[in-house]
Amino acid sequence: MERQSPLFRLFLHAAALLLAAIILTPLLWLFVMSISPAADLAAKPLRWWPATMDFSRYATLLSSVENSAGAAFMASLRNSLMVAGMATVAAVALAVPAGWAVSRTPSVGWSLSVVIATYMLPPVALAVPLYMALAKFGLLNSVFGLALVYLTILAPFTTWLMKSGFDGIPREIEQAAVIDGASLWQTLRIITLPLAMPVVATSALFAFLLGWDEFFYALLFTSDQRAKTLTVAIADLAGGRVSDYGLIATAGVLAALPPVLVGLVMQRALISGLTSGGVKG
Amino acid sequence: MSGTWLTTRAWLLMLPLLIVMVAVIGWPLADTVQLSFTDAKLVGTSGSYVGFDNYVRLVSGNAFGRTLFTTTFFAVVVVTVEMLFGVLAALLLNQRFHGRTLLRALLILPWALPTVVNATLWRLIYNPEYGALNAALTQIGILDNYRSWLGEPGTALTALIVADCWKNFPLVAMIALAALQAVPRDVIAASYVDGASAFSRFRFVTLPYLAGPLMVALVLRTIEAFKVFDIIWVMTRGGPANSTRTMSILVYQEAFSFQRAGSGASLALIVTLIITVLAVAYGTVVKKVAGSAA
Amino acid sequence: MSALVVDTIRKSFGDVETLKGIDISLESGEFLVLLGASGCGKSTLLNIIAGLAEPTGGDIRLNGRSLIGVHPKDRDIAMVFQSYALYPNLTVRRNIGFGLEMRKVPAAEREKAVLEAARLLQIEPLLDRRPSQLSGGQRQRVAIGRALVRNPQLFLFDEPLSNLDAKLRMEMRTELKRLHQMMKTTVVYVTHDQIEAMTLATRIAVMRNGQIEQLGTPEEIYNRPATLYVATFVGAPPMNLLDVTATAEGLLIAGSDRVIPLPPPLLAAVPHGKTLKLGIRPECFRAESSGGLPLTLRCEVVELTGPELILSGNVGGQRLVATLSPRTRAVAGSDVTLALDTEALHLFDAETGKRIDLRAD
Repeated sequence: MERQSPLFRLFLHAAALLLAAIILTPLLWLFVMSISPAADLAAKPLRWWPATMDFSRYATLLSSVENSAGAAFMASLRNSLMVAGMATVAAVALAVPAGWAVSRTPSVGWSLSVVIATYMLPPVALAVPLYMALAKFGLLNSVFGLALVYLTILAPFTTWLMKSGFDGIPREIEQAAVIDGASLWQTLRIITLPLAMPVVATSALFAFLLGWDEFFYALLFTSDQRAKTLTVAIADLAGGRVSDYGLIATAGVLAALPPVLVGLVMQRALISGLTSGGVKG
Repeated sequence: MSGTWLTTRAWLLMLPLLIVMVAVIGWPLADTVQLSFTDAKLVGTSGSYVGFDNYVRLVSGNAFGRTLFTTTFFAVVVVTVEMLFGVLAALLLNQRFHGRTLLRALLILPWALPTVVNATLWRLIYNPEYGALNAALTQIGILDNYRSWLGEPGTALTALIVADCWKNFPLVAMIALAALQAVPRDVIAASYVDGASAFSRFRFVTLPYLAGPLMVALVLRTIEAFKVFDIIWVMTRGGPANSTRTMSILVYQEAFSFQRAGSGASLALIVTLIITVLAVAYGTVVKKVAGSAA
Repeated sequence: MSALVVDTIRKSFGDVETLKGIDISLESGEFLVLLGASGCGKSTLLNIIAGLAEPTGGDIRLNGRSLIGVHPKDRDIAMVFQSYALYPNLTVRRNIGFGLEMRKVPAAEREKAVLEAARLLQIEPLLDRRPSQLSGGQRQRVAIGRALVRNPQLFLFDEPLSNLDAKLRMEMRTELKRLHQMMKTTVVYVTHDQIEAMTLATRIAVMRNGQIEQLGTPEEIYNRPATLYVATFVGAPPMNLLDVTATAEGLLIAGSDRVIPLPPPLLAAVPHGKTLKLGIRPECFRAESSGGLPLTLRCEVVELTGPELILSGNVGGQRLVATLSPRTRAVAGSDVTLALDTEALHLFDAETGKRIDLRAD
């Protein structure tokens, strides 16, 4: 549209380089720490790039030798997968019918608004009764208990995403199916849900990332390998007396890998999901 | 297909969600309200009714005021910086230059990084003995001696703010970029034909499209900043000398470290109230902005 | 017995009454067009017939059976939507056969019916495609095929041609007419396009504000509009309306001293001394001054479209448009005298908008 002056082009590229550096430097450093020998990390002046790359920490953490750092890490990895996975499945199962109902019957929409308004609640406002209840039912230190609690965060969000998704599917298609003689269940199964699959996938992805990221409830409600999640395990490492900072960095890289890969691969879907509410108002 | 049946059917479909929400949010919230009027401990005694004692004691105590100030300061600074940086990044990424697609992809990385990993990463960078920040600053000669960035009350909060902004400005940038891409090309073209300067083009053509989405981002980020817990817990646990203690940390200490469930509940409700007031106030402004933009 | 009876149907949304007692009765095989501007209630009426909305009061009967409370799938109707509402994830074949599939018609029989409909609509090569791979016109045909294959007692069309470009719209209009002539099924068709209404309908119901302004054949609607609204809604360019008052000699055009002379027997039927609206269709003017009622107007703009010449002018400050033969000589800025027949005059009460009949027929 407008021709860029050479000076402006130079400025643009400089600014782009700066932005790239701001984004990448901390991430690169996390990776460099994970492959630097302990001696390099403790050196003064600091070695910014290891003389020899050392991937042994990855092997350490991903091994399942009993009572090793690896066993604890693997257990927390498994717990995170299970908790986030179960909470995601449950949240989507709740969100699909509810999101469809609100999208097609606006008169019940206020109830979703109330559910979404709970986003304002700080988790600390629910933590004490939840703690007492989980203790009572023996669900402290349980992946099931934690997954249930995660629904407080995941379910409202996925329902909202599903509702916007269903809004994008014309009602007329469902009306046509009804006139064609399809029952509600047939309409949803054959027509609506296949059309909504991309939104279901995006919602599930978001829910999983939220569950994977969660820390507060996991910190409160888990204390050992039975249910302790990756985020708590990493916080323990970071706050503990671990002398090898490279190992902490390695755990960080491994924990970051799934969401970062998902983020890069699913970028378009994630951004449209993220911004749909914002742009549409 | 009558209206009442459709409504009934909608409620039936919503029922599973509503039951779960009442179980994991509604009931605990009600219980928190009830607890807040007792001196219950986290384990053991269920406590007895003490009226507004908890509230009065907490609000008049000196920890409350200081923590509220710290929280507000943190929220105002991170949200301002993130909005500013986010919009600037979005304006940049909306221009044409080599590598734009790649840079847009990179933007998602800090956002996708788990909060706890982000906190751990910055904790390592700020490390007083082996941290990269100390190393870098001494090697280029800005710093003579290594400092304990997170260990000194004067720098800890700033260090936290930097870490939080780095992770969250991309969210604002992504929202702003999507809004910028929604500005119709015809309108931009018309502004060129009309001879608008770059500034007036931004002010009168672009900004109206940005205003609504940015207000939404502002509300979301403010609420999150006010609720902040994870990053602070991992990096400083509220220290040193309580210089980074925010409201959520204070509630955690009260309810779980000191096991005072009753007074922890009161504190949590005060935080909830503050956030609600903020959200409602913002909501009113958002409606106004959205109304005037349309 | 009438095939479709709409009996004092009312519909309210809260305090707003969108349908104020609609009565229509259709013979089997009729093509009824509900014509009106958006918001007149025509789509609401169609949805009530389809069973997608419930009326607040009144009854719908199809071949003697009341449809109130009957589920849409049990009404034996088919509907074509404005957006086509094709199932994007299913093939054309399955789209067309979906209604039969839901009614558990055996696969072989279904396939036969689908092929028959596809042949009729000339979309056989498209059967294995998905809707996204079709052009607008092809989607429209699939949507019609989906309705045809069910062989219902009643077809409903909701502005089916409004998403097509002008050329395709004309083609599909003819196609619909051909299909109707062949199938002879009763049709209710909603549109705001008066050309579609005129060409397709056996009867037109012109609707406005939740009421029927006039229900009649296209000829009646066009030649004897019952109200000012119908008169101006149907016809392009629209009917000219002049303020006139009746005098002893004829109709005096307001703002001028020109009088359109009327024979005394006709004049007797016109209320004297009160302002009336005189309607004249643009195409009723003739250029030759011999014969008929003369009307002289100031010519302002002359547009030659090819098949006709559009003359815009004024009489006593009131605007007037005439479409004339392209050979007519007319110069902008000069006076032109045109001729009219008494049959071309439509008189309306200016206050009620009701037609005042000039003839006793």
